[in-house]
Parts: sequence; C-alpha cells; structure tokens
Amino acid sequence: MLLFVLRRLVLVVPILIGLTLLLFVVARLLPGDPVGLAAGPNATPELIASLRQEFGLDQPLPIQYWTYLTGLVTGDWGMSVFTRRPVFEDVLTYLPATLELVFAALIIAVVVGIPLGLLTAVYRNGVLDYATRTLALGGIAMPRFFLGLLLQLAFAAWLDILPLSGRYPLIEIPPETVTGFYTVDALIAGDWYALRIALAHLALPAIAMALSPLATIMRMMRASTIEVLQQDYVMTERALGLSNRLILFKYVLKNAMTSTLTVIGLYVSWMLGGTVLVETVFDWPGLGLYATQAILTQDFMPVIGVTLVIAIIYLFTMLVVDVLYGVFNPKVRYA
Amino acid sequence: MALLDIRNLNLAMRSYEGETQILHGIDLVIERGEIWGMVGETGSGKSLTGLSISRLIPTPPGRYLAGSIEFQGTDVLKAAERDMRRLRGRHIGTIFQDPTTNLNPVFRIGTQIVDVALHAGHADPTVLGLSAGASRREFKRAAREKAIEMLDKVGIPKAAERIDDYPHQFSGGMRQRVLIAMAMIGKPDLLIADEPTTALDVSVQAQILRLIHDLVAERNIGVLLITHNLGVVAQICTHVAVMHRGRILESGKVGDVLKRPAHVYTQALLNSVPTVHTKRGELRGLSGLTPESFA
Amino acid sequence: MTTPEPLAIPRRNQSARLENWSRAFYRFRQSWLSMVGLAIVVALIVLALLAPFIVPYPEHVEGVTNTAARFQPPSASAWFGTNALGQDMFSLVLVGSQVSLFSGLAVVFIAVVVGTAVGAIAGYFGGWIDEILMRVTDLLLTIPSLILAMAVAAALGTGVFNMIIAISLTWWPAYARLVRGEVIGKKEEQFIAAAHALGAGWPRILCRHILPNIVSPIIVKASLDMGFAILTVASLGFVGIGVKPPTPEWGTLLSGARSYMPDYWWTAVAPGMAIFLAVLAFNLLGDGLRDVLDPKARR
Repeated sequence: MLLFVLRRLVLVVPILIGLTLLLFVVARLLPGDPVGLAAGPNATPELIASLRQEFGLDQPLPIQYWTYLTGLVTGDWGMSVFTRRPVFEDVLTYLPATLELVFAALIIAVVVGIPLGLLTAVYRNGVLDYATRTLALGGIAMPRFFLGLLLQLAFAAWLDILPLSGRYPLIEIPPETVTGFYTVDALIAGDWYALRIALAHLALPAIAMALSPLATIMRMMRASTIEVLQQDYVMTERALGLSNRLILFKYVLKNAMTSTLTVIGLYVSWMLGGTVLVETVFDWPGLGLYATQAILTQDFMPVIGVTLVIAIIYLFTMLVVDVLYGVFNPKVRYA
Repeated sequence: MALLDIRNLNLAMRSYEGETQILHGIDLVIERGEIWGMVGETGSGKSLTGLSISRLIPTPPGRYLAGSIEFQGTDVLKAAERDMRRLRGRHIGTIFQDPTTNLNPVFRIGTQIVDVALHAGHADPTVLGLSAGASRREFKRAAREKAIEMLDKVGIPKAAERIDDYPHQFSGGMRQRVLIAMAMIGKPDLLIADEPTTALDVSVQAQILRLIHDLVAERNIGVLLITHNLGVVAQICTHVAVMHRGRILESGKVGDVLKRPAHVYTQALLNSVPTVHTKRGELRGLSGLTPESFA
Repeated sequence: MTTPEPLAIPRRNQSARLENWSRAFYRFRQSWLSMVGLAIVVALIVLALLAPFIVPYPEHVEGVTNTAARFQPPSASAWFGTNALGQDMFSLVLVGSQVSLFSGLAVVFIAVVVGTAVGAIAGYFGGWIDEILMRVTDLLLTIPSLILAMAVAAALGTGVFNMIIAISLTWWPAYARLVRGEVIGKKEEQFIAAAHALGAGWPRILCRHILPNIVSPIIVKASLDMGFAILTVASLGFVGIGVKPPTPEWGTLLSGARSYMPDYWWTAVAPGMAIFLAVLAFNLLGDGLRDVLDPKARR
C-alpha cells in the first residue's frame, strides 16, 4: 500500500506541471492588463514599463513560465502585482480559514448525512423518510449563498444568537496561531472562551456549505443501504441473533460506505471551489475572497496560486479516498 | 415435550398482485437426535417453513393465518422479539445455501464468528465456559478462543491464523465450513440447514454432509435439512417430509418413505432420480401435477 | 417437407425508436415529482418568454429609479416589494428570468456540442488523439470550475455573452469524458462492424450509427446540469462578476440586496427563491428523465 501511495504521489508531479502550463497559457491568452490596472489610470507609460520589468512580464512567455516553475519548488509562487505581496505567503495565511470551514462543513455533512441515510433506508417510506427526502430535494437545489443569507437573517438578525459574519470579533485577539484553525488553536491553548467564539462564528457558514453535500450523501447512503440490506449475509446475521443495531451500524454501514466514499471525495473539491460564495456572504477571510479580489484586479499570480492549491488538495483527497476504499473493501488490491 | 412442534402452520404472503397463501397447514415434530430431510420443488414452501421457525419472515408482507410453532415449549410466533433473539444463534442455528454470499465480504471471518459467539455467550455464559459475572475482556477472549476451536473442529486448517482472513480468501467449501462453525458456536439445540450443499462441488458436498452428521451425533441435536436432493436425504437423514405446494404430502422414517412411498407425488419424485441404470433420454421430470391431483 | 410459410411481420404504425420514446414518456408521467418539475420548468419558460409583455413596471427594468418608494415591503402594487432604488422587485425578478434561463440553456448547449465533438473524436480514433484530448480534459477537470469561470469572465469583461463563454469553457470536459466512454463502448458492437463492411466512412458511422445510440445519457446529464448551470450563472452574478446592473439577473439582484439584508429582507428573498425554484424544477425534471432513460441508474 505504501508503494501505491508513493506511486500516486509521483504521478501528481506531471499533473501539476501540466496544470501550471495550462493556467499560464490561459492567463496570457485572455485580454486583461493587471499592471495597467494596478498602476492606476494616470500612470505614465514609463512607470508601466518599469512595473512590467519588475514583475518579469517583459520576458518571453516560455522564460516567464520557466522562472515560475523553478520558483514553485522553492516556495516562490510569484508576486501579486496589485498588493506586491508574495503569493505563497498570502495563500498560507488564507488557507487555514478556508480549510477550517470546509472541514467543519464536511464533518456536519458526514456525521448527519450517513446516519440519516441508514435510518431512512431501514424505516423506508416512514414519516422520517418522506420528511428527509423532501428536505434533501430542496437542500440540493438551495444555492449556498442564498441559504447563507437566510441563516444570517434567522439566527443573527431575528434570533440574535449567533454572530452575523466574520471569523472572530475584530476587536478581540484570536488564540495563538499553531495550526491556523481557530477552533483547534483554542483547544491547544485551553481557551474555552475562544473556542466558543470561534465555533459560534463557524456555525452558520459551515451549515450553509454543508446542506447540499449532506443531502447528496444522505441520498447515496440510503440507496446503497437498501441494496446492502437485501444481501444474503444480512439474513445470516439476523438468523444468528445479532442485534439490529450491531447489524446496521457495523455490518451494513461498512458495506454501504464504499459507494458513498467517492461522493464525499468529490464534494471536498466542490466545497473548496465554491468556498468563495459562502466566504462572500459571511466575510470569511479565506482563499475564496482572496481569489475574488485578485480576479477583479486581473492579478494572475494569486489566481494561479489559489487554483494550484485547490488542485493539490483535490488530488490529495482523491488519494485518501482511494486508500480508504481499500480499507472499506478488502478485495481491492492496490495496483 | 418435543424439541420442535409445528402445528397447522398457515402462512400467506402479500405481493403486488394481492395476498397468496403459501403454507397450507404444515405439521412437523422434530426430536433431539433426528435429522429431518425436507424435500420438494423450488417454491414448495420449504425455505419459508425453515425461516418461520426462527421467525425471520417479516410481517408484513408475511402473515400467519393459523397454527403454532413450539420450540422447547414456547410458541415462537407469539414470543417477544427479545426472546426470539435469544433463541437465534444460541438455541437455533441456521445455515443457508450459498456460502459465497452469506459471509459479509468486508469483515474478517473472525469478527463475524466472534460476534455470534459473544451474542450466544451473553444469552448463556456457559456456552463460552464462563460464569455470569465474567468481565467484558474475559468474554472477548473466550469468544475468540471458542471461535478458533470451532473453526478447527469444522476442519479449517491452521484455524488460529486463518481466523483473521477475509471471506474471499477461502474456497466455497471452506466458506460453508465457516458458516457451519458460526451456526454451531452457540451450541444450538436445533440446526436449520437450508440447502447447505447445493452450491458446492459433489466431492465437497459429501464432506459437508459428513461434518453435519458428525456434529449432530456428538451433540445430540435436532436438524431440519432443507433440500431438493433425494440423494442427500438418503445419505444422512433419519426422517423425511415431502413438501409440495405448501403442504406436507408424506412424512416419516427415511426407510419407510423412500422404500414404500405411499403418495403418487413421492413415487414420481423417486422415479425422477437418475441411477446408473438409467438410459440416455430417459430422464423423467415432474409435470402436470397440481395439488388437486393429490387431494 | 413442406415449404415454410413466408413470415409475416406485422406492420407498425410508428417506428421502433418513436415507440420507445412514447413508452419513456408514459413512465415519466408515472412519477408525480417529475411532472411537478416539468410543470414548473414550462411555467418558468413561458413566464420568461412573456416577461416583456406582462412586466408591471417596464421602466424599472430599464434602470429608472423611484427613490420616493424605496424599500416598500411586499404589497398589492409591488408583490415582492421594492429595492433601494425604489424599483419593483417583481419586475426585476421576472425579467431577470430571461438572462438566467437563457444563459443556463446556452451554457449547457455549448458544453454538450463541444464536449460531444471532443469526446466522440477521442473515443472513435483512440491512439495519440485520444491521449492528448483526454489529458487536457483531465487537467481541466482538476481545476475548480467556479474559480476558472470567474477568472475568464473577469478577463473577458462584463456581459451575458462573455459569461456564457466563460462557464462553458469549464463545463465541456465532463461531457467529453461521458461521450468518450459511450463511444468506446458502442464502437465494438456488431452493427458498427456491419456499417464498416458496407463501406461507410467514419463521419457517417459516427454521426448516423454511434451518436444516435448514445443520446440518452447525454440528455440525462444535460437535464441534470441545467439546474446547476443556472446556479453557476447566479453564483457569478452574486460575487460581482458577470452581468452588471441595470441588466437584471437573479444573482446580481441577490448580491445587491445583501447590503440591506436584515431590515429589507424581501429584496433578497425574491431573487433567491427564484433561483431555488428554477434549480429545484430542473433537478426534478432531470431525476425523472434519468429514471426513464437510464434504467441502470434507477434506485
């Protein structure tokens, strides 16, 4: 299995090289002049020329690409033309906020979606089944940003029990940075107050992001559980007296998980790619807002950097899914 | 008091087309030490009779119209679900037809057999050689030891190592041995074997039948062997019941029924068994026989 | 031995393919959720087409403001209330449906055409053509599509057409993958070998024999994607890229309403519900079509 993981990791390299090349070509093919935008409307041609030289934009494209590619390895992901800050540092600053949000949403979706899928499969056509299936149909169609607005309206404005937006109150100091995840950092520091604040801020955006994956995971889980419940071995397990709880949550669950696993993996990239929508609603200082800012100023380097990070996480997630696949299904051979 | 006493069992099943009566008044008494063969065609209700004994037919779609099934004096059709669970695995062991689909593919066989042993042990600690006050850890250790012992007994070589293998690492015959070990680990008083050898090679069939036969002789339990193979019945059964269209047409000692079949259907069934002397093209089937023809 | 009677084939009054479709429609009608989806979709399309004629305040859609009547809650004269500029939300949402539905349709259409062409060529010819096309496709699939669409749309500049191009660019790879797999499967079948034997060239085999046989999965995916295309269009509008006011578009309207959110909630609810309803309807329709046309995927 170690060999399998290593081989997959090696395969990631050509994918990333191809990806950067593609992004580079697309970025240069598109009309748009980041330097002109950054320098402002009153800039003299000389100023623009010197800026272009500073960012290496006067070089031929293959040279620019080569410089970028060699820089990637050393942690030099280029500079933002607009903020003049190195992209790699910025990405490292904003990534934890986004990852914390995505993980929180993923946990909600999995922890709620999988048991609900199991239970609705067992109590098929019952009240719970119809209620959750109706909610699921709506949940999949609900835009994340609209749901976020509605949640803000309900819990922040009317009920006033959760903060409207942001990741932490501006006037307060977040827990000392270790992982960059405020919730985890608060736990490490043993600061219960900070943990409560961080969780309160995390709740609404995480729910807004989680609903659609939750609904899909539930539907997948329900369908595969129904299929597993009809298998012969479930009858044997019942005939030999194992309790329904043991059969369902141990023997059926593991079998039904395999097909749901792929969906969960795909949703990680879906959430990362769409994080901008939820971040916009909740002013969540993550990669999405950072990328949007860069896109609006046509600042290519940060956009390429964010895309690259998300692609790396996506590839990594798919690797984890494949490894887990083997855990859930012993017949899978790693090849 | 008989081990198992089925009286006038009537079962109906509901489907899209409406309710159909499947079993029409089944009567059957099994004592310890008896191996009952239940023969009949596909769809004659053999399997549903077997499943009814451990009350494994969901109601609905099933519905018991009349009758009783007394196991050691308690009517299983009226028992609470908790009491039924205590019977299953501990007092009634069950083996099904296809060993390739009746083991859970994603769990080690050890996990599955230990869970059954633990279940039986919680119902009756003496099964695992423990007293009632034993700790969780003692239960777990005893269950695993018992599982290895049982796997060894059903003829799995190197049971202590192979207990941590997955089902797909075993051959069909070996998997059926594992399933027999699972069914027998709770020291049941009654074993229900639903076509246990149908999916196996002929040579493996004989081994499995011998295994069942030896276990019965050693533990003095009752067996209901459901099969459509008269050869199997002749080999190991003490008694036989012939089923057709939800009725038992004829039952009794194997010698009596097979040598002097009283019923035309049994005669036809016996005649359809090919022997070495059967000539090419002489295979006989059963056709045109409706329940009315036996009325 | 007697000469066998010539086998009489009963004449049908419709072709086999037509009969299949009518049977499929019969099954579709059996599922009331699919019918609800179809009904809402038809209603939305009719409303979008009729919008210019039935809109209560056409001048508001043109950008005329009426600050005296700003932030009116929903009432008989303004069903969905008015916004910060005193414009009737109902008029804006009604006309906005044109942009959303049309863009969604256009995105899916372009993605289907491009994806089918690429996938069919890659699948039919195989070899290095397949390698190159599929490597590019796979790379595009690893890129988060919303961010790519945002970047392209921003670079191309605002406008409905540019936005459609930007989103389509990120959508065709999924169709290319789907079509390639289907073509490879069909390529091996007997009737293709028969067509070869009759001397048919590759354009004819591909267009006349293979593609008509893989229409169902494409239709299923396209119908399921319609909802998400509308959602993506609205998403771009919401983050401020894509259609710019005064052209009414649901995502842009929602984005504008966000600043006035807790107090003047109706300005957000109307466009938000419109997006939700449209996506839901297309999803229901797509689910129904999948059940009918792709029996393997039925649960």
